[in-house]
Amino acid sequence: MSKLNNWKAIGTVLGETDINEYHFSLKNYKAKKGDIVTTASRLPSTDGTVIPVTVWGKISSIERFNAFFPAEAAQELTNEDIDIRDTILPTTKDELRCKVIILGYTEDGKEKISKLLPLNYPVMPAAIVKYPSSKDVEELFISDLDSSHPISIGNLLARKDVEIKIDGDNLISRHISVWGMSGSGKTVFVRRILTELLNLKYPSFVLDIHGDYLGFVQKQKKYFPDNKVKLFYPNLSVRAEDKEIVYTLIDKLGNTLTDPQRDFLNSLLEKIKYEGGSLLQYIKLLNVKAREFASSGSASFKNVKPASMFVVARSLRIVSKKLENMEQTNARHRRKMSHLKFEELPDSATEPEKIISKGQMSILYLRGYENLPASAIVSIVLENLFRHRQEASEEIAPFFTVIEEAHNFIPSRSENKDDIPSVDTIRKVISEGRKFGTGVMIISQRPSRVDETIASQCNSQVVFRIVNQRDQRATTRDSETLSNDDAKQLPNLANGQGIISGQIVNYSLPVQIKFDEKLINDDIGNENFIDTVENWDDKESVKLRKKFAKDFADINEIDSRRAN
Amino acid sequence: MTLKVDIKDKIKQNSSMFVNFIKNAITASPKVQNNFLEVTTKVAETALKIIKDADLIVDLNYKGKEFWSINRCKTSCFIDGGVDRTSIISSAPLSIRAGSYIVKPDATSKREFFEESMVFLGDLYDPKNELYDFVDDDFEEDQMLNKKKDGARIIFEAATIVKHILLNKKFDYCFLHGPLEATVMPFTVAGFPTFTKFAVENMFPFISKNSSVEARHFINAYLEALNYIKKSKFPIYGIVETSNSAPYIKNLLFNYKIKGTISDKDYNSVIKTIKKYKITDSHILEIILSSGQALKPLEVKKQLAGFTVTSGSAWEEKMDSFPKVFIGYIKTSDNQAPVRIESLNYPKYLIKDYEYILGTSRLLPNYGFPVGLNVVDKFAKIPNWMSKTSRKYYATHLLRQAIKNKDQNTVSLAVKILSKKSRSWKNRPIGGISK
Ligand SMILES: Nc1ncnc2c1ncn2[C@@H]1O[C@H](COP(=O)(O)OP(=O)(O)OP(=O)(O)O)[C@@H](O)[C@H]1O
Ligand SMILES: [Mg+2]
Repeated sequence: MSKLNNWKAIGTVLGETDINEYHFSLKNYKAKKGDIVTTASRLPSTDGTVIPVTVWGKISSIERFNAFFPAEAAQELTNEDIDIRDTILPTTKDELRCKVIILGYTEDGKEKISKLLPLNYPVMPAAIVKYPSSKDVEELFISDLDSSHPISIGNLLARKDVEIKIDGDNLISRHISVWGMSGSGKTVFVRRILTELLNLKYPSFVLDIHGDYLGFVQKQKKYFPDNKVKLFYPNLSVRAEDKEIVYTLIDKLGNTLTDPQRDFLNSLLEKIKYEGGSLLQYIKLLNVKAREFASSGSASFKNVKPASMFVVARSLRIVSKKLENMEQTNARHRRKMSHLKFEELPDSATEPEKIISKGQMSILYLRGYENLPASAIVSIVLENLFRHRQEASEEIAPFFTVIEEAHNFIPSRSENKDDIPSVDTIRKVISEGRKFGTGVMIISQRPSRVDETIASQCNSQVVFRIVNQRDQRATTRDSETLSNDDAKQLPNLANGQGIISGQIVNYSLPVQIKFDEKLINDDIGNENFIDTVENWDDKESVKLRKKFAKDFADINEIDSRRAN
Repeated sequence: MTLKVDIKDKIKQNSSMFVNFIKNAITASPKVQNNFLEVTTKVAETALKIIKDADLIVDLNYKGKEFWSINRCKTSCFIDGGVDRTSIISSAPLSIRAGSYIVKPDATSKREFFEESMVFLGDLYDPKNELYDFVDDDFEEDQMLNKKKDGARIIFEAATIVKHILLNKKFDYCFLHGPLEATVMPFTVAGFPTFTKFAVENMFPFISKNSSVEARHFINAYLEALNYIKKSKFPIYGIVETSNSAPYIKNLLFNYKIKGTISDKDYNSVIKTIKKYKITDSHILEIILSSGQALKPLEVKKQLAGFTVTSGSAWEEKMDSFPKVFIGYIKTSDNQAPVRIESLNYPKYLIKDYEYILGTSRLLPNYGFPVGLNVVDKFAKIPNWMSKTSRKYYATHLLRQAIKNKDQNTVSLAVKILSKKSRSWKNRPIGGISK
């Protein structure tokens, strides 16, 4: 009660109230959307007495209107060019009507603010609404979160001085989705989480498509001296059992094959035993063999025409070419960052401890790889790591996986991208992962393009700015705690402002995420194309092409001159 | 261009006429239905002739921008009362309030004030309620309860005007939403309770403290209030949106009958026709007047003794003591019936005042009455959420607010009615409300 008295009164409860929400009329400029407010109430307790309590709530929307300004007056003002201030129309009677989602109540007269309890009796109409001090709000959040490993992620959007923490245990043992359009602050948030996990020595495995996490490698010595940050590039090595993946890769990356051609490919895979190791070498071998069979006619494959065999051979050649290209692109990018130590991804089947180990963050740098091979790589690694967690021997510690560009790895069924190998793997990890300590974080710009069942298994969500309506709908579809009022706010969020909801907090809160600028990789940083162009010098090949182009243009011109 | 064509044309575009036509079509005999348009047209034609003869039509001037740049310096007060209509058997919780919207567009500091001028929150079945003396009547019907509510609203509106005059407010205009002098007949019924001593003392200090119980009856209190209002230094108008009767036309005809211009026989038959076809001032004037035109006020006797059930009642002779009302009309917009303007004195500056009413109505084109009244109407309306439970909290909230704001002028009466402890307060507070 003493606390309540120190808090500022900011409004009056209006209308009918219930145990979930109420409305109040707000004094001008006294609170914002997302603010935490309180109102004093009285509840019947279990022993029949009536106890004074403080009901806590969150402002979920604010409407401002001049209830006394008749809309039709605007017409006359415009038509006659009248200044409203010259007329008797009211100009100052704005009313602010706030909707408050009730979070719960705490009993008054306690030394400390306790955990929130669910309200079971409506708040009093016409009661005063108060604005609790930041210190008290923070105290409430902390005691309510009741976490043994709270992780600080930023502050309450409406109040800079209220720090927001999430429950670390829930974070790593469950799953979390991070949505938001490009540049909205997803990666900054993920880096914040990864920083905390490093501090907790909790192993993490990050799929980095764009090199957004290389800052950790670069700054490891300085900021994380007690941790290891490993940077891997993929090698397409497949175990003999993973023939399915090999088939899919060839099928999808190469030319479209007819049924007889597919049969031949299948038989080929049967015949040419794969001993594991580099997939590229294996595909090259298949190509050579396919050619041999084709040249020698239908001797070994009775029902297949040599022409079909040639088609398959050509397709295999295309696949190996593509894979080679991807490897090279990836290597080229790596070379640009020569001071960063890239290692070939260890065999996750036999040496998983090299990827997952206490205090270590492992980054798999996938730049340059097309979706399908990237998906294949991810599928294989995750499958193996998960298996090592599942087995009784538990060869590796629990770990946390970060999947950027998740719509590529777990596309929605409506995208018609079947056979993306990572879908099944990730689905399995997500649905069974809780038992085995393999929490996953999926990140995407396009939630509507992410597999619905997987997304809905994420019990926590962080949503940044989203303008696209379909994506907005997807965020509320996947979440139990994100309300429509929250969704309405999404297009208006600024960089780094997100709505956090689900099991890692107890209720959805708009948060300004803390920006760890130090973790930006200085090498790539934010892409600054203007500087790039300023320092641009044409490559030799381009210079040459330009020179020739001039000659060709000359020829062309002479050619088209009219003979006179 | 004949008069007839003109009127027929207008009828075609005339909305309230059409509504009445439809109403008649449902309730009246086929003959009445068939004749309605024709009869109304005929009455209108005749009325127009008389109106022209009496030179009652005035053309008003309104140029939006110019009008407001001249009138921005005027202080206007708009008053309206609100009553909640929820009634619960076995208790009669009641919220009544009268609000004022006071605005001076070019004011340097605060241009507009919303004032909750009078508030009552209570239970009329509570013997200790502060508004009406308690009458122990087990069979009080709904009708009586509604009369009490209406009576309270009317008295609150009058008290609000009185208060502004008492407090010496410098208004250029004061407008009441509704008739300035209400028909008091419904409150003459036997058993209608008197107001409490407390209420009357607080609302109308000019009524002697030692006067009889009788003096606190609605009829007497209201009459005293009107007489007081009549003496106001600033012009006060009641604005009525639509007329369900034809006081203006009937009076006009009556005047001409007295003058001898209309025979008794003609007069009687036309009055009968007006009644039969339920023809109102609105119907006729809507046809006759064009937008921006007004009718000069006529003096009309509002309280007609013997006209209704009050005949023979104890109050019958009181009816004649009520001031006569000046009734004029302004057609403020093309598609609305003219609004009725009531005042207790003949307007000193008729054209200017009517032009002001026209100007303020142009800001509410679809309703065609002064926008300030629309504003205060919304303000005074008792919100739906003022249910029984919330009312108590609202009352204490009001009380607290009044004390905190030290805004005695606006809420002091409210607080007094709410709180018994404050009975001892002087009627015109002179500061230090929290003491
Ligand atoms: N919490 C924050 N505080 C301040 N600035 C931020 C914050 N979050 C993001 N930003 C700014 O926005 C930029 C883009 O953020 P970020 O890289 O996290 O976007 P993203 O959502 O991951 O986008 P993409 O989908 O394109 O990867 C950051 O480099 C930074 O400048
Ligand atoms: Mg990103």
